[in-house]
Amino acid sequence: MSATAELSLEGVNKSFPGVQALKDVSIEVRRGEIVGLIGENGAGKSTLMKILSGVYQPDTGRILIAGKPTRLQDSADANRKGIGMVFQEQSLLTNLTVGENIYLGYEAQFTRGGIVHWKRLYAAAARQLAKVRLDVDPRMRADDLDFASRQMVEIAKALTLEDGSGGHLVILLDEPTSVLERAEIEVLFARVRALRDRASFIFVSHRLDEVLELSDRIYVMKDGAVVAELAAAEADVPKLHHWMVGRSLQAEYYREPLQKAFAPEVLVEARGLSLGQHYRDVSFTLHRGEILGIAGVIGSGREELTRTLAGFAPHDGGTLEVGGRAARFTTPAEAVDAGMGYIPRERRVEGLVLFLPVAANITLADLGSLTRYGLIDDRREREIASGWVDRLRIRTPGIQTLCLNLSGGNQQKVVLAKWLEAKAKVLILDHPTRGLDVGAKEEVYELVRAVTAEGLGVILTSDTLEETIGLSHTVLVMRDGEITHRADAAPGMKPRQVDLIGHMV
Amino acid sequence: MATMIGRLGSDRLRQWLPLATLVILVALIGALQPVFLQPATLLELAGDTAVLFILATGVTFVIMLGGIDLSIQSMASLASVVVALTLSSLGYWSFVLAVALGAVAGLLSGLAHTRLRIPSFIATLAMGGVLFSTALVTSGEKSITLEVAERDYLTWITGAALGIPNVVVIGLIVLVGAHVLQAHTRFGRYSAAIGAGEPAAYASGVKVNRQKVTAYVLSAAFAALAGVILAGRLASGSPTLAAEMLLPSIAAVVVGGTAITGGVGSIWRTLVGALIISVVRIGMTFLGVNIFAQNIVFGVVLIAAVAITIDRSKIPIVK
Repeated sequence: MSATAELSLEGVNKSFPGVQALKDVSIEVRRGEIVGLIGENGAGKSTLMKILSGVYQPDTGRILIAGKPTRLQDSADANRKGIGMVFQEQSLLTNLTVGENIYLGYEAQFTRGGIVHWKRLYAAAARQLAKVRLDVDPRMRADDLDFASRQMVEIAKALTLEDGSGGHLVILLDEPTSVLERAEIEVLFARVRALRDRASFIFVSHRLDEVLELSDRIYVMKDGAVVAELAAAEADVPKLHHWMVGRSLQAEYYREPLQKAFAPEVLVEARGLSLGQHYRDVSFTLHRGEILGIAGVIGSGREELTRTLAGFAPHDGGTLEVGGRAARFTTPAEAVDAGMGYIPRERRVEGLVLFLPVAANITLADLGSLTRYGLIDDRREREIASGWVDRLRIRTPGIQTLCLNLSGGNQQKVVLAKWLEAKAKVLILDHPTRGLDVGAKEEVYELVRAVTAEGLGVILTSDTLEETIGLSHTVLVMRDGEITHRADAAPGMKPRQVDLIGHMV
Repeated sequence: MATMIGRLGSDRLRQWLPLATLVILVALIGALQPVFLQPATLLELAGDTAVLFILATGVTFVIMLGGIDLSIQSMASLASVVVALTLSSLGYWSFVLAVALGAVAGLLSGLAHTRLRIPSFIATLAMGGVLFSTALVTSGEKSITLEVAERDYLTWITGAALGIPNVVVIGLIVLVGAHVLQAHTRFGRYSAAIGAGEPAAYASGVKVNRQKVTAYVLSAAFAALAGVILAGRLASGSPTLAAEMLLPSIAAVVVGGTAITGGVGSIWRTLVGALIISVVRIGMTFLGVNIFAQNIVFGVVLIAAVAITIDRSKIPIVK
């Protein structure tokens, strides 16, 4: 480790029940440097950021600030020690003014006898805004700023830490560009570069080209470990992608040999489906045994389309037929009755009742069928649950174990078991492998292949385009609420990612 | 892994804490006052606990799915007034009327909570006010003593069979019925699922609002039943008959080990909790604590019980 590092981690490990989120991670950030941090979802970036910002404590390993080992008690302590964070989901309170936001929690310096001296606070806020060259009145409500300006306010807020720590700052930028337009991104990048004399930055993003553009040096994470450290000048997108995914695309990974031709029988037919400003004129057909992947960036409308099919957001135009019957789902209960099974991205919130046992979760969507004279047949419930645990190889101490104590992959299998038990005809897989490690992902792929072979239809939205292409029979590409492209994805004849990306952005 | 085992161990311990507390309290008072352990005294204790237990049972259904019902004591008082006013003209139907009124009040609270999306504590606080004033107005702001002739209708409450007070039998019937409902029906399971993870229950196709409304109907109906029994035991109805019973009822539920945040609990636990509250009450009488000071103790007990039963590390923000 170089002695000049402003901030470094040495051999950091962090585990959560069922998953080792960080494995022996060592990184360093030098003075004035912009360090890129990339990795797929679940690679450990968020955990790493939370350790750097004091939210989590490492199980083992050291954190050094300017060469001195230190402990970050909590985020306030991290702030005091000169580590600031700009969040992906913007953390400004939109009902407060820009100035109030900048000094939120640090008003004491402007307070005499319990009274806040607003004039001084706003004058100080104006000085902070000048540092990032943002020309807005600090008395404006955050609500009235565009996203790019809010992002600059966040950075200005992080820069106030200079007054407290007195030294050079390290600012964590967590997906700061995800809601910005290209022109706004360029402004943001220019400002960040201009601040190098005040701060070092760690820049986390999904967009590899942006990471290459802004960073000096790039760490690549995969499955909780740092797998590569590259100078930006020596890297390019394919190289980063290769490190991130950790292998060249293999047909075997997505169980392509198991991809069977689907049956002609139609399960879901959408014609000219629309919902407000979210999506328009969406038409598709889902057959028995077919996996229909929907590709698109945030804002393409594919998320809302998924929610419509799951019963959370009823469409307001066009027609939807499920199993030959016209359908418009106003609640998930209606969608479930029509044979839809939703496997949500928020597995721990919408997928499972974490504080109920495995058995109760498996039977939750189908309690009616094991109720006799109004009473739940406990023995049948145990048989059913044990059956699914065996069949899907769910690794759990027992069927009465709370789902809370299962690993992500096994939790996902419980969700799947719930819908198979409820005899769903269509599964809606909303980012089904999010947060799972590679082994668990492969098990999910195998199960998805198995259920489609039995005649279920699957609608898939995925974190990665690669996964969408690898799993699907058919890929729909959406952009700005409309379908822009349809591609056949038969085994051995899969479309290339670059061919689809053109239709996405 | 070690922390997981530790957590399971402490969870298991936590589960038996209420029962252990009850046994220790009974043994303690029994040691100081041996008469306390005689069957007659214990039956009397059971009889005295019945009303509290029935009130607490009703609100258990609501607490299980993560809500609260603050209207139960007013509902119970109103039910006693209804009985006192109509017993002479309606006879046994008077009891049915009182409980049916409870169900209607619960339905209204439940609809206000689910349809208008009002927090349950607000909806039931408001409903409690409405019920209390209704009781005041209909009773002419006074206690109504039942006529001697009307007391014949009360033997199902006040009588005894084979030496066991009927009120204890009623309590047992409520226990069995409520336990089956909570532990062995879809309603009970859905309630636990909603309390433990409403979004997942909703996404799994559970008709969340229907279960919630059912719980409020049950809560108010049980409260009305408790009021009916109280009226029978005291041979009167009054708008303040069940005043001061809200706090002990909720304390009973929570002391028994049902989580105030929902999802975890049972009717058995509420029984244990109600018995603890009763024993504490008797213990205070033995110790000569002023009867009006009881709610000081129950208030402290409630706070302590919530603090012990909730694993607050899982709840970042408490509102």
